[in-house]
This record gives sequence, C-alpha cells and structure tokens, in this order.
Amino acid sequence: MRRKVVCALLTLSMVAGMFAGCGGSGSESTDAAADAKTEESADAAKEEAPAEEAGDEEVTLTILAGQSTTDAGIEDMIDEALAEKYPNITLEWECVDWGNDFQPKMQQYLQSGLPDIMIGKAQDVATYAPLGVLGTIDDTYLDRGLDAARENVTIDGNTYGLVYNALYQGVYYNRAMFEENGWEIPDTQEQLQAIIDDCKAKGITPFASHMVDTWSIGNVTMQFMMNDVFNNTPDWGDQFREGKVKFETDKAAQTAYQYNKLIFDNTYPETFSLEQTECDAKMVQGEAAMKVSGSWSIQNFLGIDENFDFGIFPFPNQTGDSKLIFEPNITIMTSAESENQEAINAVLDVLTGDKELATEIYDYTMTASMLKDVTPTFANPSQTDIDKYAAEGRIVDVTLGNNQLVWGGFQEENAKDIASWLLDEATFEDALKASDIRVEASSAN
Amino acid sequence: MNRRKSSGMERKMSRQYLVLVLPGFLIFTIGLIVPLFLSFRYSLTDWDGMSAEMKFVGLQNYIKLFGDKEFLESFWFTVKFTIGNTIIQNICALLFALALDSGIKAQKFYRAAFFIPCLISAVIVGFVWLKLYSNVLPEINTWLGTNINFLLFGDADTVLGGLLIANNWQWIGYWMLIYLAGLQSVPAELYEAARVDGAGPIKRFFNVTIPMLAPAITICVVGITTGSLKVYDLLISSTKGGPGRASTSMIYQTYTTAINGRQYGYGSAMTVTLVIMLLLVALIQVKGLKKKEVQA
Repeated sequence: MRRKVVCALLTLSMVAGMFAGCGGSGSESTDAAADAKTEESADAAKEEAPAEEAGDEEVTLTILAGQSTTDAGIEDMIDEALAEKYPNITLEWECVDWGNDFQPKMQQYLQSGLPDIMIGKAQDVATYAPLGVLGTIDDTYLDRGLDAARENVTIDGNTYGLVYNALYQGVYYNRAMFEENGWEIPDTQEQLQAIIDDCKAKGITPFASHMVDTWSIGNVTMQFMMNDVFNNTPDWGDQFREGKVKFETDKAAQTAYQYNKLIFDNTYPETFSLEQTECDAKMVQGEAAMKVSGSWSIQNFLGIDENFDFGIFPFPNQTGDSKLIFEPNITIMTSAESENQEAINAVLDVLTGDKELATEIYDYTMTASMLKDVTPTFANPSQTDIDKYAAEGRIVDVTLGNNQLVWGGFQEENAKDIASWLLDEATFEDALKASDIRVEASSAN
Repeated sequence: MNRRKSSGMERKMSRQYLVLVLPGFLIFTIGLIVPLFLSFRYSLTDWDGMSAEMKFVGLQNYIKLFGDKEFLESFWFTVKFTIGNTIIQNICALLFALALDSGIKAQKFYRAAFFIPCLISAVIVGFVWLKLYSNVLPEINTWLGTNINFLLFGDADTVLGGLLIANNWQWIGYWMLIYLAGLQSVPAELYEAARVDGAGPIKRFFNVTIPMLAPAITICVVGITTGSLKVYDLLISSTKGGPGRASTSMIYQTYTTAINGRQYGYGSAMTVTLVIMLLLVALIQVKGLKKKEVQA
C-alpha cells in the first residue's frame, strides 16, 4: 500500500514537472512580457520625472555589475557619491566577472525579473534590448556623454545603454626599449617581423602573452579580425550567417587566426601557465618588447612601476592600414520593468553629473572618458599615441565586430579551438571548421 | 477482532510513515525531480534560454550529441579523470588507513593532516595548485638547478595528471577516514582465528580485511566515481577547461553550451545524458559490490 502511494506521488510529481515545462515559464510569458515591456518602457521614458525630484522615500536599487578586471572597486566610489546627493537611495550590488558570469546571471534574471540597473558592455545592448527587457535612457543623461557613445547602443531610435568609459586595444610596447634598439613603430607585417627578428637576436622575448586566460586569445583574435576582415568587409558577420563567407575559405579570416601563431611562436614558452599579472610584470621588467592587449593592462603596468614608459600601436594588418581598437566598456542599462525609475535616474544623474566622481573612476580604472568635459587626470604614457591615431582617423569601434560575432558561445569557444591548434591538439583546418559549425551561436538573436 | 486491530494499527503506522516522509519527499521533488523532468522537456526543444521561441525538435539534440566532437572529447576526459581518481584514491586511502590502523605514533596528527584538505573548497584547491605549478614549484628548479617540468596545467599532455594530483590531494584523507572506520570495526577474533589457521599478513589482508571492508569499498568506489563524473569546480579556478579543451569535463561543457553558448535545449540533453550515465554507473557498482559484501 505504502509503495503504491509513494509510486503515485512520484508519478504525479513527474507529470507535474512535464506540465510545468509546457507552461513555458520562459517562453510564452517572456513573449507576452516582451511586448508589454516595450510599451511600458516607452511610457516610462515619457513620464520620467527629473532626477532632482527624486523623493525622500528610502529606496534600495539592485545592480548587477558585470565588471572587467579594471572595474572592481568603483562600486564603493559610486556608493559614496550617491550617499552625498541622494542619501535615501541605497545600492545593492552584485558584482560578477563580465566574461564568465554576466551572461549566465542575465539568463537567470530574465526568468525571475531583472535588477533595476545592469552594468555590462555596449555589446550587451544588442543582446538584451531586442528582448524588450531594457528601459530607454533619458536624453538628460545621454546628452552629458559623447555623441560617439550612442551609436552602438541605439536600436530603432531608442538608446538603451549609457556608455561611461572606453578602452583602447592594440600592441603595447616598451617605449624605452624601442628607442634603445632604434625600432620604428611598424605599419606592416614585414616591419613587425623585422622587430621580432631583432628581438630574438638580442635575447628579448618579442611578445608578452598569457594564453592560460583563453579570453586573451579571443580578445586579440577580434583585434586581428577588425583590421584584416571587418576593415574591408564591415558586414562580414552577417555575410557569415548568410553563408556567403566561411572561415574555411576566407583568406582574411584565416590570416587573422594565423596571427595567433605568430604571437605563440614569439612569446614565453610558459604562456599557457602564465596569468595576466605575472605576464604584465615581465613586460614591465623588460623581459618582453610588446604585448597585444588593451587598457586593462595599464593598471598593472603602472601598479608595478609607475615610471614604466609605454606606447600603443595597432597590430599591423596585411594592407598596412590598421587602426587602433576602441571599445566602449562600462555601459549602464536599466530594467524596463523597474518601479524605481526616479531612483534609477538619480543614479544616472550622479554618474553623469558628478565630474569629480567620474574623474575618480577614470583615474582608478585608467580608462578613457565617454562623458563631455571630463578628462582623466592620471598620466597615461600611451595617450600621445592614442591622440595621434585619433587625429589621423585611425581608430575603429570594436562593437561593430562584437555585435556581429558575439563573445559568449562564439568568440570564446573559437578561442579554445585556436588554443588547441596552437598546442598541436587540433589542426588549423579543425579550428576553422569548428568556427564555421558554430555559425548559429555567432549572433545573440 | 485481532486482525481488525492490527490492520487499523498498520494504517496508522502507514500514515505516520507518510507524514515523516512527506517533508523530505516534497523538497526532493521540488529540488530534484521537477527540475530533472523540466530539463528533459527542454532537451526536446531548441530553446536558447532567453528568447520567447521554444521549438519542439524531438530527439534531435540527443542525436546531435553523439556526433559532437567537443562533447565526446569532454566525455573521454571525464572518463579518464574518473578512472584515475577511483583507482588512485581508493588504493592510497586504503594504504593510509592501514598505516594509521597499525598503531603508528602521532596517529591523530596524521589523520587530521590528511583530512584537512577536504575541508577546503575545490575552487580554492584549484587556485592553490595553479599557483603551485606555475609559481612555487618552478622555483625549486631555480634552487636546485634542475629542469623538472612543473607546468602541468599548461600542456594538454600533462593537464590530466596535474588535476589528478590536485583532486587526490584533496580527497584521499576523506576516504581514508571511511576505510579507517571500517578497519576499526573488524573483530580482532577474526584475525586471531586466521593467525591460528596459519595465515600470514598478506593472506589475512586479502581473506579477512578486504572482505570485511567490502561495505566501505562500496561507499568509497561509488562516492569517488560519481564525484569525479561531476567535476566542475576544480576546473573553474585552475585550468578553465584548457589548455584548449584538454580538461573540459562533461559538466563544464554542458554549462558553457547551455549558458554561455545560449543552447539551453542542447545543454539540457547533455544534462539528461549525464544523469542517466551517473545512475547507471552507480547502479552497476552498487549491485556488483554488494554481492561481495559479508557480515561479521
């Protein structure tokens, strides 16, 4: 009898499980919510009261912050500044690593309800805005930012992200070492190869790298793709999904992958056991001449030696016209469903209006400002190079590539295949083929 | 009259049993059974975990699974990791337990020293061994002027060995305690009787100790096997599944596919396959090992 009852209960729970799935917690409900949220967000944007009118009522806002390595710690600065101007608003932070944990967290929150504010990267807007879950950002705050900041976070005329800072990516070089050895900044692969040869002849490691962090392989590959692929074919990712181009047949894409081999053959033998901080330390200590990286290395460079003199140049492409990579980084998004729109606006007001806070954040993260009239005060030895490339119009926004070939599930996975190829665990053709097979995962939508 | 009394009593007892079982049953159902069946349901769809669309694709995900090179690679890594762990941990744990049971000095100290690593989170263990292999141990080469390759996590050929060392370092002490408890419960009379019959130490070990330890062996073998098949946290902080894909376990592959790769339906098919595999392995092991168990 007891067995029968337990059996019946078990069967019931299994059937309940199946029906719960059919109920489509994540399907129909999301669908219906999507439409509703789009309308609500539009209405909310219209009805928003100015931040200054935020009442005295105690409000706690939840924030999911997908942080880069440079960002950890800015939450305390924001808390402090907010407490001064809006003491009634408290921020409840959930800080996660953007590369590994932001997307999983968002996936979880898409089922249970988004936090009031999300901090990610500009490319996240293209992923989540089409789902109708992001609120539009009020022009009051957007107008305090640079116009260039809006381009890749605007969909169908609505801006869903506030880009706060930017990173530059390219080849960081030891300026003193370059001067001592009489090396000129290379524009072509031949010039780069000459420097590599000279480095080797003098016992200097040409490139510092930390391939144990697979993300670093993914990151540099997109840098290469930007200059050798997207530079000539701006819609390469779309063409890839349409089946017009493939990694297996596209010479430019293959060249971009091959540059990883150039780095691997000219870096530390222990690169697959070396973490970023140690790698950066070796670079500062003069063990390596160059490092393909981004602004996130500056914190380490100057943290290890505040007098370290370095510059940046774009990784040379096949045509000798490569551009420095620009990446909008901290991007603030808001929930379309939040009932605390006034308090959210108050936070945006502090972030964009408090120039002291903004400068503090830029100096701490050692990144570039995306706000009007706010300039970081930290001494960035590579700034002269950045200014030079900006004046020559040789800067390109990597969001173009990241929006077409997404990080999670595509670039990240391709990087693993590239690592396998570099370690002779797979052939180059295998790595190309794997990227082609992954075509469906290349777009967020 | 008596029969009626006893059947009334039985019904009362049944109700009591049900009341006692119900809280656990509810938690088990909500936390395990329902998600498992939800997972099965998702595995029959192409859901990406975010969007509104969820198309029924039948068994397509399962068919795709068996031709997926990455999944098969992760399967083989998991199998090798499991076999390595099961053999090494059982043998070492039993040997350590025998050594501690032999009445050596400072037994309590050794027992604590072996047990402490299992109190540490596997994430920390992974990080500690990453630092050991890449920073601490290579310094030995500098001191001694040797050229031993300690960069075990940096090469696809050595990463499995490196992970086995880290995992065994953490868990041998835990299984050792189970074997030690088993050894201490073997009646001394059995050893005496064997000695009287002329059995030497080796014969006593194989004919008395091992049969009497059979229940402990069952627990250890099943525990280590199922634990190893589920390895994830150790990898997160040490190799991140690399270099390349050389140390990607089935769970790791499932997570990256379902969450990072936005293929929730396909990832669910991986989960269901892993659960079935775990159940089968545990069932076979328990059935096989139970037959060998004897009672004192």
